[in-house]
Amino acid sequence: MKLLNNRMTTVVLLVAVVLTMSVFFTSFTSNMRLPDNHQGFEPVQPIAYSHRLHAGELGIDCLHCHGGAEQSRTAGIPPASTCMNCHQFVTASILSVREEDKLAAKESRPPRKIVSPDLQKLYRAVGLNEMGERDISLTAEGIEWIRVHSLPSFVYFNHSAHVNSGVACQTCHGNVETMERVRQVSDLSMGWCVNCHRDANANGINAKPVNASIDCDACHH
Amino acid sequence: MKDHLHTSEDQLNLPEEFSRRSFLKLAGFTFAGGVLAGCQQSNLEKAIPHLIKPEELVPGVPLWYASTCAGCSAGCGVLVKTRDGRPIKLEGNPEHPISRGGLCAVGQASLLGLYDSQRLGAPLAHGKESTWEQVDAAIKAELEGIRKRNGAVRFLTGTITSPTTNELVRRFLSTFKDARHVVYDPVSSSALLDAHERTHGVRALPQFRLEKATTIVSLNADFLGTWLSPVEFTKAYRQGRSLQGTPPVFSYHTQFESRLSITGSNADERVSVSPVELAHVASRLLSLLTERAGRRLPVAVPLLDERLERCTTECVERLWRTKGKSLVVCGVNDVAIQVVVNAINEVLGNYGSTIDLNRSSYQAQGNDTDLAKLLDEIRSGNVSALFVDGVNPFYDLPGAQELAAACETIPLPVSFGERNDETAEHMHYVLPQPHELERWNDSEAIAGIVSLTQPTIQPLRPARPLMETISIWMGTKESAYNLIRAEWERSIFKRQTREQSFTQFWNKTLHDGFAIVEPKRQAVSSFNPAAVAESLRQLSTQSLQQKLFVELHASSTILDGRHAHNAWLQELPDPVTKIVWDNVASLSRKRAESLNLHEGDVVRLNREGGRVIELPIHIQQGHQDDVISVSLGYGRKGTDRFHHVNPKWLQAKPTVEKGGTVGTNAAPLLEWKGKTLSYFVSGIEVERTGTNRQIAVTQEYDFLTNPNLLGESSGEKRNIIQQASLATFVANPSAGSFPKPPLDSLWPEEHTYPGHRWGMVIDLTACTGCSACVISCQVENNIPVVGKDEVARNRELQWLRIDRYYEEEGETLRVAHQPMLCQHCGNAPCETVCPVLATVHNSEGLNQQVYNRCVGTRYCANNCPYKVRHFNWFQYPRGDEIARMVLNPDVTVRDRGVMEKCTFCVQRIQLAKIEAKNEGRALRDGDVKSACQQSCPADAIIFGDVNDPNSEVSRKMKDPRTYRVLEELGVRPSIGYMTLVRNSDGIAVAEGGMKNG
Repeated sequence: MKLLNNRMTTVVLLVAVVLTMSVFFTSFTSNMRLPDNHQGFEPVQPIAYSHRLHAGELGIDCLHCHGGAEQSRTAGIPPASTCMNCHQFVTASILSVREEDKLAAKESRPPRKIVSPDLQKLYRAVGLNEMGERDISLTAEGIEWIRVHSLPSFVYFNHSAHVNSGVACQTCHGNVETMERVRQVSDLSMGWCVNCHRDANANGINAKPVNASIDCDACHH
Repeated sequence: MKDHLHTSEDQLNLPEEFSRRSFLKLAGFTFAGGVLAGCQQSNLEKAIPHLIKPEELVPGVPLWYASTCAGCSAGCGVLVKTRDGRPIKLEGNPEHPISRGGLCAVGQASLLGLYDSQRLGAPLAHGKESTWEQVDAAIKAELEGIRKRNGAVRFLTGTITSPTTNELVRRFLSTFKDARHVVYDPVSSSALLDAHERTHGVRALPQFRLEKATTIVSLNADFLGTWLSPVEFTKAYRQGRSLQGTPPVFSYHTQFESRLSITGSNADERVSVSPVELAHVASRLLSLLTERAGRRLPVAVPLLDERLERCTTECVERLWRTKGKSLVVCGVNDVAIQVVVNAINEVLGNYGSTIDLNRSSYQAQGNDTDLAKLLDEIRSGNVSALFVDGVNPFYDLPGAQELAAACETIPLPVSFGERNDETAEHMHYVLPQPHELERWNDSEAIAGIVSLTQPTIQPLRPARPLMETISIWMGTKESAYNLIRAEWERSIFKRQTREQSFTQFWNKTLHDGFAIVEPKRQAVSSFNPAAVAESLRQLSTQSLQQKLFVELHASSTILDGRHAHNAWLQELPDPVTKIVWDNVASLSRKRAESLNLHEGDVVRLNREGGRVIELPIHIQQGHQDDVISVSLGYGRKGTDRFHHVNPKWLQAKPTVEKGGTVGTNAAPLLEWKGKTLSYFVSGIEVERTGTNRQIAVTQEYDFLTNPNLLGESSGEKRNIIQQASLATFVANPSAGSFPKPPLDSLWPEEHTYPGHRWGMVIDLTACTGCSACVISCQVENNIPVVGKDEVARNRELQWLRIDRYYEEEGETLRVAHQPMLCQHCGNAPCETVCPVLATVHNSEGLNQQVYNRCVGTRYCANNCPYKVRHFNWFQYPRGDEIARMVLNPDVTVRDRGVMEKCTFCVQRIQLAKIEAKNEGRALRDGDVKSACQQSCPADAIIFGDVNDPNSEVSRKMKDPRTYRVLEELGVRPSIGYMTLVRNSDGIAVAEGGMKNG
């Protein structure tokens, strides 16, 4: 009886140790982290918009589309009309247009209009047909982007305060200009925010002294 | 890490053969997936940008529009704050000449009406939803028939200040042979206008200039509460009561009244009188003043009793001394009294100085005589078409049922309104009206001050304004915008000379919200003394023997009932009684004792003719013994919508029973006295029902002295309200100061405030207790409504409350109002007891409450000497999806189990700091205005940076009048209060036990 009891205890203890270790092991190997930490979040967007192409290769300034970052709490997602400023003319990549030109020359016909599949989606969203032409039977639908950087509802972050103090977009968002699809680079945790604020108070931003508040109600109100 | 949750389904195909091995693999994957899912974004947030962004709009940045308030017909100017296309806050327009930046509680709360999902969404024809085309066609056909047979068309409305609407109604009615526009106000001031017709030959409401008066005598006029234009009057009243200058210009205000009103609670001298005594006081004032002027009255006026004789003689002395700079106003709807009051003002030479009859007011245009005539016509079945707009006659008139029955015979009854109310349900057609925030409108509330109302949101309900409807019926289908523009170009543009082109004039007015133009002159004839003798004779016949009256008055919060569907106003404590979610029969302690009644006992008020109402009683300080006062506006149909306004839990009691109403309609007791509606009703029998109803109040102890059950410290006076009389103040600016206690601190060091240090000063001399700040705070800070039951359990959530204290009793009763909110103490007792550091001090002197840290121990609330912390006992219902659109996106919506309190509007501080930073400048004084400060009609609240020596708040902090409440506790509050100075002698000051009432 006593033997059994001892054995039972050993087994229970062993199982407990194994379980605890496995939990630790899994947590280290699988990057388990605190709830609501979405670092690395990289959702598939309804339109495969490439920041690498626009911000990186073409060198369009971030604020060209996300102008709210200078004036508002939110940087904002540009309205479709901003896209259409260029994309009423640019309907496909230069390579595919050239290819079509070549093909047309070969077949001695005028080149056809080429519309890339993702721009077709844009045109549909603003109420044009897939070729980017007016069609009164269609209605505008809007684009349902998936939000990548999202803070809990009890946190108030203000883009304009940061952008106007000289914080580069990349400080928080990483090198978006190299990303084909946007990924959340920072963990956007409170510790990460506060560390940066402390650092900024000690060293300034671009050697300019700043007053980055570390009061709770700077963000929580 | 890759995003597993968003892989498409075909990427997750199961293997065809489901072996044990693949099961284990899949099981393992599921487990790992489960762990991973814990750290994944589980519900995807969609972000849908504009297709084409409006040029002026930056998402996240508020836009402000100048508009006009429609909470009542006073016509105050408002600034509407919109965020991403929806209005979220109304604030006073500082430049508007009527309200000068103030906005009352009703105006602030009218915002909630916009998001009322029970507003009608389609016209009703015979009780069923219909379309505009069908309804228009049917009504037009009926009207054609009426036109042919010369039927009587009657347009029954409340006061309409819109010149365009009035003009269109006039034009519409001119197409009929027998048509009239009848205007009445549910709480009528008709007698005031009638009296001027008799004495000055013009039926007009004069503009009262309280700021010019050094002596104000009010006969039952609650001008700081609900009478005519409270915000305008509060501004003016404060302007005339300033402690600046030597000697200060500070008016003397005597209030003769039967119940305790907000105005009475601010008076320097308050005389409680019965309605009959009031009439005799008016006569006596006139006779004494005429004597002073060396003339004689044609009618002998009897002497009053000793007490009143003394008061009136003193009053006459003062009035005569300040002749031409005094003002007597009267809120009694009785032509005889009003004529006598006009005569008093005439003797004093106040016409042309404190009373402006040339620039008259259109804020109340009701005509009871017209109304009485119309009701006779309806009863005799002579009306062919009745249009009702903006009033609810089957609710707010006496004999409503009989009237509704008589209306059955009208061939075409039509009502315009927001909901299917008491009147609308008897009408053949109900045409929904838009809310003022979603429509174009205009207003000329005071002659020569014209304002515009502009839409600030896409209409939430497909409604159509009255003016468009009339335009369609007249065959010219015009939008309200075009109609207003056309009318302004036709009649208003001509009345100004500053702008050359109409477009410029229009754009400037739209931008500013208002314009000043030439007032329309009326032929005011000189004073006609003939009317006075007749009135005096009438008044002298009133017998002093009559005992027990019921006084009916407008509610301070929901007015005549038009805001009964507004939960914010229903939960706003009445500024005097502090009662929420109910109306009561208020009476004096003496009367209650003689009737053997206790607080909350339900009584039946019987009036002959079977007019009965049942109400709980409330024992009220300062009440005249012969008067029972009841607030109108309650008992509205459909208010059982608030059945579930409070949180559901085991012991919850509903705010209102299903099928019941909030409060009781007192209008059945109203009485026609000749051709005017009388709000004093005699011949009332009080009958006990034997039941008791709980009354929910937010303040249960009313005195500055300790209650008698505290052993040794019983009766001891607490250092809460510092008071002084004007005379002692002039002699010594720090008169009345509490003794300064030694402030030894056990704390090793004080906080340092290197940058800003936020502070507030509240001037108790200025504060009238109107409660505009309470609603302003509630709107700004997303404070939920908790319902009657929760208030009764002392769980109200309003961050800012106004404490109302009584001193003494009876004739010497003194009332003080004190806004009480988080004091942001330097040594805050709440901070030291929080076990999770959820409430901590910040570097700018704010006592922060961090919701996401709070675990709800409530230690802080228990340790707060000011009792300004509120706990979220529940997840409070915040109405439906539409109602939640009113939430301020800059303030966290708190969850259950979290403590909350005033933050000094930290969201406004942060935003102002960021704006200043973005513009590369330092924060200026006045950049940050707390919500309570912005709306205060009395400018009693000053907020700002105490570290800035030039800021207004730091100057006020150094004022000898400034003190801290409960300073002896050593908590070093950041809010200074300024001594309450009254223009009366004999204020017992400072130390020593004041008599407890």
